[in-house]
Amino acid sequence: MRSRLRHIAGLALIAATVAGCGTTSDQASRMALAALETPAPHATSKPPGAAAPCTASLRPPATLPTPGNLPADSFMAKIRKRGSLIAGVSAGTLNFGYYNPSSGSIEGFEIDLVDEVAKAIFGTAKHHVSLVALTVGQREPFVQEGKVDIVADVVTMTCARAEKVDFSTVYYDAKQRVLVPKSSGANSISDLAGKEVCATAGSTPIYVMEHLPHPPDPVGASQSIDCLVLLQQGAVAGISTDSSILDGFEAQDPNTKIVGSPIADVPYGMEINKAHPDFVRFVNGVLAELERNGTWQQLQAKWLGQFGPPESPPQPQYQG
Amino acid sequence: MWVDEELTLEGLGTAVAPALSRRRRGAGAGAPAGWVRDRLATTPGRLVLVQILVVVGAVCFGAIATGAEQSRERAAKAARSQTEPLLVQAKNLYTSLSDANATVATGLLSGGVETALNRSRYLADLRTATTALSRLTSESGTSAASPVALSKIGDQLPLYSGLVETARANNRQGFPIGAAYLRQAVALSTGSMLPAADRIYRAEAQRLQADYHTGTATSTLVTFAAASAVALILLLLAQWYVTRISRRILSVPMLAATVGVAAIAVWGIVALINEQNSLLTAQKHGSDSVEVLSASTVLLSRAQGDLSLALVNRGTDETDQLDLTAVERELTPLTGEISVLARRTGTTAAADRFDVDYASYQAQTNRIKDLQNNGKLPAALALGPATSAISDRLSSDLGGQVQAAQERFSTAATNATSALDGLAFAIPVITVLAAVAALLGLRERINEYR
Repeated sequence: MRSRLRHIAGLALIAATVAGCGTTSDQASRMALAALETPAPHATSKPPGAAAPCTASLRPPATLPTPGNLPADSFMAKIRKRGSLIAGVSAGTLNFGYYNPSSGSIEGFEIDLVDEVAKAIFGTAKHHVSLVALTVGQREPFVQEGKVDIVADVVTMTCARAEKVDFSTVYYDAKQRVLVPKSSGANSISDLAGKEVCATAGSTPIYVMEHLPHPPDPVGASQSIDCLVLLQQGAVAGISTDSSILDGFEAQDPNTKIVGSPIADVPYGMEINKAHPDFVRFVNGVLAELERNGTWQQLQAKWLGQFGPPESPPQPQYQG
Repeated sequence: MWVDEELTLEGLGTAVAPALSRRRRGAGAGAPAGWVRDRLATTPGRLVLVQILVVVGAVCFGAIATGAEQSRERAAKAARSQTEPLLVQAKNLYTSLSDANATVATGLLSGGVETALNRSRYLADLRTATTALSRLTSESGTSAASPVALSKIGDQLPLYSGLVETARANNRQGFPIGAAYLRQAVALSTGSMLPAADRIYRAEAQRLQADYHTGTATSTLVTFAAASAVALILLLLAQWYVTRISRRILSVPMLAATVGVAAIAVWGIVALINEQNSLLTAQKHGSDSVEVLSASTVLLSRAQGDLSLALVNRGTDETDQLDLTAVERELTPLTGEISVLARRTGTTAAADRFDVDYASYQAQTNRIKDLQNNGKLPAALALGPATSAISDRLSSDLGGQVQAAQERFSTAATNATSALDGLAFAIPVITVLAAVAALLGLRERINEYR
């Protein structure tokens, strides 16, 4: 009889696990659940602060060393000796870095940029790139612990992050914009004043929204894609986050549209360990070359051209 | 007939009991007390009093013995044909809902389109869940399941399947939002439906526990044995007394009555012991195993669901991995318990096979977790199908063991109820026959004084 009671207790524990660390701890799930029954709850998250202008990076060398000619004691030479560049990327951001189930590999604009960096080290990217799919929380620690050489994972260049890691120059200038259902009458974020607008919990877009003159009612989801679920279920009136992400949402749901002018700048940079300034300069040199020889524009057209007119590459800012 | 109207059974309670108590208190002579005193004065009168005692004793013995037998029989029958079947339905509801999660998550893992096998398994899970739900709901009068929990699952199951279909439709187009819908479906299931199913399961398990308790209560056996002993002693005393006052040695009808009561006593005690043992076997070899195996099934499908979800989320979320670790912590001791129960029931072959498979499942999940933690997503994804194959083997293994345990339960529970067959009829009949025989025997003696 004791063992039986233990089983009942065991099953109760399953339920407790459910209630505890399981899915309910996931704010998005809780929100999604509530969205099924009641109006969407209101998020009270603490955003990390606005993206401040921490977008300047180290100046690249006048001439980029060729793959066969890397400085002997440089970090690039170490990577070359190891045989592969280890890059932390996103596996769930459509067109930037996402796992494509049909090809069985991670693809996107950022993945191609990483390939270009590898090409500059090895001469070819083939078999010389090792992709690591990171969660948001893993990005800076993995760089700091040296588990990855570089992170290209739609990271907004904030000063808070710049204290932990070095950033490359800006490789993509996203804008914070707003996505609404096609049936919505809203033409800009100000039309959504007081209405529920979703963004990733604790993200910069929430902070930006809260500080608008006519702020909407920000709702935080644990992942940005959960915002699209909430929008499709009618639980929120709009989504405001990086245009790069919203483009992907629009592609997944043709019944939505991006409206209004950009609300804020969202500069993306690659994260590199502070111990490797030589590698930061090298990567900045690669990026400058890509922008100069038109590769950046090609890749932009390849991955993001479907969402609008061709863009010009961001203007690099250097310091030191 | 010699026995006058006052001696009808209805008259006994009012006439005899107050009379006796007043006599004991030594109170003044009332009419009934006087009647008893009058009877005590003569030998035929004393025999009449013995007759009354025999009738009262027979009624008491019959009532107590029947009550004891009925309590056991009701509990055993309820356990066999009502409580345990409902517990099985509650188990089916819980495990199928849990398996549906794992199946869908694993299906979406495979890329654009899930396999036909995966799809049919999910649909079978839904069917099992709805069947169980309607069984439990239709018997909600007799089942212990809370109507609130039942209607919660009833309300949410369509929502759940709607979310799953939305997830599938999006996943077929390669849209990451498919995974988000899946997460929402799984959150609905694990956050609301499964806890409700758990409440239902626990309520049914407790009710079965109560039936086992009543059906194997030693106090019932003791009561029956004591009532039989008292009845026999009273009969023997009556015979001794009659022999003394009538100076006759043997009364054949009274001897027959004694034999009858002794027979029913022996039959009853043996039957109750048999029933008790069979019901204990049903519990220890049957439903205990069913419970442990079901809990393992649920945990296993939860682990598989977590593993698949973590992969479906493509390393964007860590909650599933944390849950997986928690689930494995629960599951490992349960697998030990499975072996213990298997040794008890002599079905070690199946349990050994399970142990081997579980070890390889654990090794495989650890490899996947390791790859994922190091960001080796494609490599981790590549291990997915092999792992889910082991998981399938484990769950069908457990399913087979549950089936076997269920059969052991049915056999033992049937033995328990059939152990009591005829007893419910025999106790009153033989008691009445014995009482009539005893009365006849006494009347023979009384008539000798005419």
